[in-house]
Amino acid sequence: MLPDVKVFSLLSIGRHPQSGRARRAEQDARAVELGLTLVGRDLNLVHAGSAQQDDSVLRQYAGMGLPALTLLEQEENADILPSLAKFLQNNQAGIVLMGVRAESGESSGMLPYLLAEKLGWPIVSRIADIVDIKEGVADVLLALPRGQRRAVQVALPFIATLDNAASAPRQTAYGSGLRAKIEVVSSESTVDDLTLNWQVSPAKPRPKRMKVVKAKTAADRFKAATAKLAGGGGQVLKEGTPAEKAQAIFDLLLEEKVIR
Amino acid sequence: MILDWLLPTLILTLLVLAGIGAVRRMNMWRAGQAEKVDIIAGLLAMPKRYLHDLHHVVERDKYMSRTHVATGGGFVLAMALVILVHLIGIESKVLSWMLLGALSMMFCGAVFVFKRRRNPPSRLSKGPWMRLPKNLLIFSVTFFVLTLPAAGVLPASFTLGVMGQWFLTLVLSALVLMSLSEMLFGMTWGGPMKHAFAGALHLAFHRRPERFGGGRSTGLKPVDLEDNALASGKVLGVAKPSDFKWNQLLGFDACVQCGRCEAMCPAFAAGQPLNPKKLIQDMVVGFAGGTDEHYAGSRYPDKAVEGKAVGEAKGGVDHIITDGLINPETLWSCTTCRACVEECPMMIEHVDAIVDMRRFLTLEKGETPNKGAEILDNIIATDNPNGYAPASRTHWAADQNLNLMKDVKKAEVLFWVSDGAFDMRSQRILRSFVTLLKAANVDVAILGDEERDSGDVARRLGDDATFQSLAKRNLATLGQYEFKTLVTTDPHAFHCLKNEYGDFGSDALEGVDVLHHTTFLNQLIKAGRLQVEGFKGGKVTYHDPCYLGRYNGEYEAPRELLASLGIEIEEMERSGYRSRCCGGGGGAPITDIPGERRIADMRMEDVVSTGAEMVAVGCQQCTAMLEGVVEPRPVVKDIAEILASQLIEVHS
Amino acid sequence: MTDSFPQILRRDPRAEWIARNRLHPLHDSVMAANGAEVRGPSGLLRKNPHVIGFIGPNGIKRIDRANTSSGLMAGKKRSSTTQDVELPLHQVIDPTGYIVVVPDMVGGRLTTHDKDILGLGHSLIKEYADNMAVVAVCFGESKETQFELAGVDRLIHLSSAEYEGFSPEARLAALQHIHQIYQPKHWLFPDSINGGTDLASRLSARIGERAAAQAWQVSIAQTVCRGASASLDIKRETPRILMLLEECGNAINETRHEVLPLTLDRFEMTDTRIEDNGLVDVDPNAVPLAEAEFILSAGNGIHNWEQFHACAKALGATEGASRVAVDDGFMPRARQVGASGTWVTAQVYLAVGISGAIQHMQGIGQCDKVIAINTDAGCDMVKRADLAVIGDSEEVLQALMALANERKGVLLDDALPKEENHVA
Repeated sequence: MLPDVKVFSLLSIGRHPQSGRARRAEQDARAVELGLTLVGRDLNLVHAGSAQQDDSVLRQYAGMGLPALTLLEQEENADILPSLAKFLQNNQAGIVLMGVRAESGESSGMLPYLLAEKLGWPIVSRIADIVDIKEGVADVLLALPRGQRRAVQVALPFIATLDNAASAPRQTAYGSGLRAKIEVVSSESTVDDLTLNWQVSPAKPRPKRMKVVKAKTAADRFKAATAKLAGGGGQVLKEGTPAEKAQAIFDLLLEEKVIR
Repeated sequence: MILDWLLPTLILTLLVLAGIGAVRRMNMWRAGQAEKVDIIAGLLAMPKRYLHDLHHVVERDKYMSRTHVATGGGFVLAMALVILVHLIGIESKVLSWMLLGALSMMFCGAVFVFKRRRNPPSRLSKGPWMRLPKNLLIFSVTFFVLTLPAAGVLPASFTLGVMGQWFLTLVLSALVLMSLSEMLFGMTWGGPMKHAFAGALHLAFHRRPERFGGGRSTGLKPVDLEDNALASGKVLGVAKPSDFKWNQLLGFDACVQCGRCEAMCPAFAAGQPLNPKKLIQDMVVGFAGGTDEHYAGSRYPDKAVEGKAVGEAKGGVDHIITDGLINPETLWSCTTCRACVEECPMMIEHVDAIVDMRRFLTLEKGETPNKGAEILDNIIATDNPNGYAPASRTHWAADQNLNLMKDVKKAEVLFWVSDGAFDMRSQRILRSFVTLLKAANVDVAILGDEERDSGDVARRLGDDATFQSLAKRNLATLGQYEFKTLVTTDPHAFHCLKNEYGDFGSDALEGVDVLHHTTFLNQLIKAGRLQVEGFKGGKVTYHDPCYLGRYNGEYEAPRELLASLGIEIEEMERSGYRSRCCGGGGGAPITDIPGERRIADMRMEDVVSTGAEMVAVGCQQCTAMLEGVVEPRPVVKDIAEILASQLIEVHS
Repeated sequence: MTDSFPQILRRDPRAEWIARNRLHPLHDSVMAANGAEVRGPSGLLRKNPHVIGFIGPNGIKRIDRANTSSGLMAGKKRSSTTQDVELPLHQVIDPTGYIVVVPDMVGGRLTTHDKDILGLGHSLIKEYADNMAVVAVCFGESKETQFELAGVDRLIHLSSAEYEGFSPEARLAALQHIHQIYQPKHWLFPDSINGGTDLASRLSARIGERAAAQAWQVSIAQTVCRGASASLDIKRETPRILMLLEECGNAINETRHEVLPLTLDRFEMTDTRIEDNGLVDVDPNAVPLAEAEFILSAGNGIHNWEQFHACAKALGATEGASRVAVDDGFMPRARQVGASGTWVTAQVYLAVGISGAIQHMQGIGQCDKVIAINTDAGCDMVKRADLAVIGDSEEVLQALMALANERKGVLLDDALPKEENHVA
């Protein structure tokens, strides 16, 4: 517990990849989880957005064990950056946690960077954990691909975005979420006019890149067209010594570059 | 003679003490939440409930039922007469002779109780229960002796000499005191005889009066979300003993610790940390306060989970139950198979209590173990437990040419597909069933992607909010269409639709026959709409799914269907209402509490012991659980699959 | 890759002629040698369908009935000599502008993602019809030897110590400096977890240019980006800074490029508030199962669990298990693969002693390569596997472990220092 650091977790409305329904955003929920492990119920939750009729998603965040959360009221299509930056500065935030990218909207992942730039704070992206905070410096673990980690030290105050490798969020409890207080703070909205002339449509499936065969001769082309594709119908090794069989497996592992 | 005034005094004193105890005990029950009960009607119905319904259950053990009739009946009669003869002092030979008769009957019963207690099976509690037969014997003998003069068998003043008289008086008073302490004082102050007092009232004020007179009431009661969630100091589900309804507390007190539930519980047999008897006793400890030090039965199996030694479990009426009284793992071990409820001679509702406490853990603490949280999140976001795209629900039926309700609006039969639609194994059952429906030319339609999870898993995992939301949305969808019959291959969905959706004020299912597919197929076969040829495979046994059998009383249709194929079922020892669970209910595979063995393995052993080569089931969950047993093992097939393979195509 | 010039088929006109001419005295023997066509006892031609034909691209057997002679050429191949073709050199003299690509350079080499983006850079230049050059900015040590084939016209290579490891602040300062000096027409970054997104976002925030993220269709006028967790396409004007998804362009493959170095004069570094303490050792088993790229999975057929764990360690594989292995208590529940456990996405899934229940097969549906070790050649896992080994798992695992350890020994001997750089 580090009572002298004010930790804020920023919340967004997530989107379930299969159903498209609103939900706790996966990474933002991890930001709440990390905040809860750092400072417990002293964690501050902030959502900047329009005050919706249905606040069930915000309550799902609160249901992770927090009695209240702050809603910075913004109009639809507003650029939430100015009011959020002002809010964080006014509240002397020490650590601001959030997901890498929103699950809805533009999801450019720029908000944390713009906030950091505006506030003049350092930012570390895709962290897995905050191990320790001492004398204004935090020991942070960055999540790298394939489960690797990098240790980094950052000076407070800072902004961090959470990778999916961070600890999974705890379950949300319906009852306590329902009882949580949502403090609505009205704040000025700045309209994001750049987005106005964007054309938004449901995602088209991207064409898979064809395997282009650079064939110089007819024989080449024939071979490329008739050769058995790798993987279609497997090879079965029945005969041979265990060592030979193991060698066959090992060769495939090397070919797939999973053994380095 | 001293006894002339000592005996009535003793009886009176103990009656008064018992009365005080009764008031005190009732106040304990009253710590529970209010629940509307028709007191007068309940009390009036009580004797019939006792004589008919309770004895119907006790009858399963003939020895015990006769013993109990003799002992219990004898005692009640004797006690009433003792009050008349010895307390009020009515001098009537007839009454005295009647009393002697009652006492003799009680004596005979008590002898059998005594005999049984000499080498009791492990399911029976020991401790104070071991002294009960002795006190029963003492009571009957002592009062027999004391009544002899009143009956005129012995002269009122036969002489023994002064010393002899004193000695006799002393001994008799001591015996009277001993037996009456047990029988009267113990009855209301927590002795074994408590079961008679609390049990009688429990029968009168039972929370599910529909169960009496051969009825069935198995649907869980909904949580009042509006009132409870927002009111301060209230919680969803049961956190403390005082959060139970008062008549639930009363029900716990009715327990006779006979351990029949323990003997039937699949989780207990699998070595998971659940023992329904101990659970009920812990509930008693909870609302009465104190520790479980007086409990003298088998404990929760604790090989896998750190268990508490006897005396360590502490509770109080306002203490959080899972905080020192019982481990949450105990609650999550339950498969909600209702074997304990079916077996309980006192008609205690174990499953209700367990789900009530689970509700608190899930809705208030967010502590559904293992994959529970993930599954619930999925159900909330995608309306199915595994998080598949809702738009892919009908993919299984791409080649089935099934009508969608959305298009036809109206059909004779609505086929409720349930979440088996996403599971490749269950899809085989679905396809078989569709084949049969088509062969019988049934006008059938499905909801397609409009269908949602029935909410069964969410509800058993304690998330009643999600269940209610699903139920209401499903009912709204169902309400748009016209159909006479709703059929499903999933007994869990069947149970929800039939028994639990009624609580949400919708008329979508009014006048609709909600049927399990075995019932429906049986109707088709009987009506001659399906032609099947005899089954020529090997021996077949049938596994009763809990949610079809115990929950809905459908034991016959599957058996008749198999018989129509010429199959003579090799019944398992535990079948019908005593069928052993496959381990797949109540979210148990999701919460996945470790035990010493798997319930499905035990059930497959039951199957193997019949020598059957195939086990027929009527539930996709049972199919999945039983097929999960490592081969070699008998083949597992849904009845729809067996039937479809024997179908004779009639070309019109 | 095997050599790019395939073996040329050599025809034997005489044999073909004999094969065509059924009256030729040698016809029978030639055909018999080929094994395809035999005259049966009644004098009818018998074709043995098992020996003729070839397996087509879909794994279906194809019998080429039009050309009976092609089968005769089997085995009569001569390997051709390989020749290197010098690709034409693409030169940019006095460029009028620059498109700057900041490749990820994972392990010091260009990734396919990087190459696609370099290719995209050139296609944008082609669209502009301008004399612009593609500049690659590389940080840290580079092992890449083929910049010229990937389309790098100019290279800014910043290899001093402050850019090593995790150094977003120093790199940002450098990019900002490049921005001031060269005023690039576009900044192209891979939108990747290997650092591309991070740098792009930092630069975008610093110079106040609104970037397009997750872009996948880019022309000089318009860009299509994915949004809302890849459920939306956003069409917008092409901005200056682009974070690009994989396969956003086609890698250069028909030209060579100059790779002329561009130098940067000294510039002032801002003070750093992020300090890199280096990589942390991670146990492969700490990698979440769903993310793991190589899974060694155990089923009912495993009897020597110690050996299994040792083998997973030696191979550096994440451990998985079938439901039965978990139910029997040999593996924790979190390791269960399948419909009711974890859905895995491994590149290689090595299933040992798993026969392949349907729920398990569902769970490994997204795996790229499946290898099975099993005693039962008829089980579903073997049918699904790209490579199946029938035999005793214990022996095979033992041999596999020996191979892995042997290779480790070799690596330790000569490649250890390089390996460390590779990581940085």
